[in-house]
Amino acid sequence: MANVIPFKLITPKQVVFEGDAELVIAVTTEGEEGILPKHAPFLAALKPGVLRANVVKDGAASRLELATSEGFMQALPDRVTVLIDEALRFEDVDVAKTREELAAAIDRQKAEGGDPAAFAREQSVVDFANAKLRLTGSH
Amino acid sequence: MKQVAAAKIRRAEMARRQARPYADTLAEMLRDLMQAVSHVDHPFMKPGKEGTPAGVILMTADKGLAGAFNSNVIRAAETYARDGGDVRYYTVGTKARNAVRRWGMADRPAWPLGTAAKLDTARAVAQMVTDDFTQGTISGITLISSKMISMMSQKPESRKLVPIALDPSFDSAAHDAGARGAVEFSPSPEFVLSRLLPKYLEFTIYSAMLETDAAFFAAQLVAMSNATDNASKLIDELTIAMNNARQAAITKELLEIVAGAEALGVE
Repeated sequence: MANVIPFKLITPKQVVFEGDAELVIAVTTEGEEGILPKHAPFLAALKPGVLRANVVKDGAASRLELATSEGFMQALPDRVTVLIDEALRFEDVDVAKTREELAAAIDRQKAEGGDPAAFAREQSVVDFANAKLRLTGSH
Repeated sequence: MKQVAAAKIRRAEMARRQARPYADTLAEMLRDLMQAVSHVDHPFMKPGKEGTPAGVILMTADKGLAGAFNSNVIRAAETYARDGGDVRYYTVGTKARNAVRRWGMADRPAWPLGTAAKLDTARAVAQMVTDDFTQGTISGITLISSKMISMMSQKPESRKLVPIALDPSFDSAAHDAGARGAVEFSPSPEFVLSRLLPKYLEFTIYSAMLETDAAFFAAQLVAMSNATDNASKLIDELTIAMNNARQAAITKELLEIVAGAEALGVE
């Protein structure tokens, strides 16, 4: 048995993944952060990006790649938990729609004209759209 | 109607159950943070601007036919407004919107409860109340909605969401968390907290929406089941009355025939 840690990825709507992971890499506000088993207790805010993990479920190792929006990652000695608003798999991403969202968000950003809170809000939409496109390889 | 409510309640309960793990983890993270942060400089932790109206999120169902379900919540809001003075409403659910309009506040923001995108609605509500609170338009945020006590009983409940009052259980829980050792925060506990608190507000509104949904169908189930029972009872009573009347008419007719025959002297 490889060195693994219980890993859960939760959105308000459902538990997206529950199983074991050898490695979890998420994009925190400070950059990418990889969590291996036995990581020190750790809590970080995540920004939209592509979350990657080497997971083991029912004895079979696989690679999990998800486009995630804003959320949090918590590493404890006995588990890793990621709380996220939205997490999409490759097959759930609608590329054409995402491109429209991206363009609309950028337009809104330009129209806002310097309100930092509104800009940040739209930036999160932009980042999430970019993450979705990167996941599908159509960036 | 009863069957419809019974089927829908199952779906609403399922949605609530699926939101559970998120709620638990979020609460746990918040506990860890509260323990690590000595001084919190976030608008949600400070009292709101004095002299401004209290912000109230009034949450009901979109439809009726559920007994006193909606009116109980609306009455709770009336009581709250009587005690608390000036109130600024934000409504979720058609019935709440109608009530607020009836009170002569037609221009208040309103959202429907029964949409597929409840999370987006919750986000929009949270966004608006947060903006109003930080800009000093309202002095606090209170949520008045239905609490589901059991399938048979729902009760209106008002909860103060902002400014956040730390409930005492945080203290005792902090000791358990302490056993896990020091937690490292990235980039800082204050920053993570400033991200987590709005998320917490958003999610509280979302889970209240799910609860209202489930409670509504439960109330509707009970109301409709009572209506079915009452209707069957009424049908039974009317059937007996109808049989009585028919039998009385037959008896009267027979008596008339017999009396007529006797008068004619027919053997």
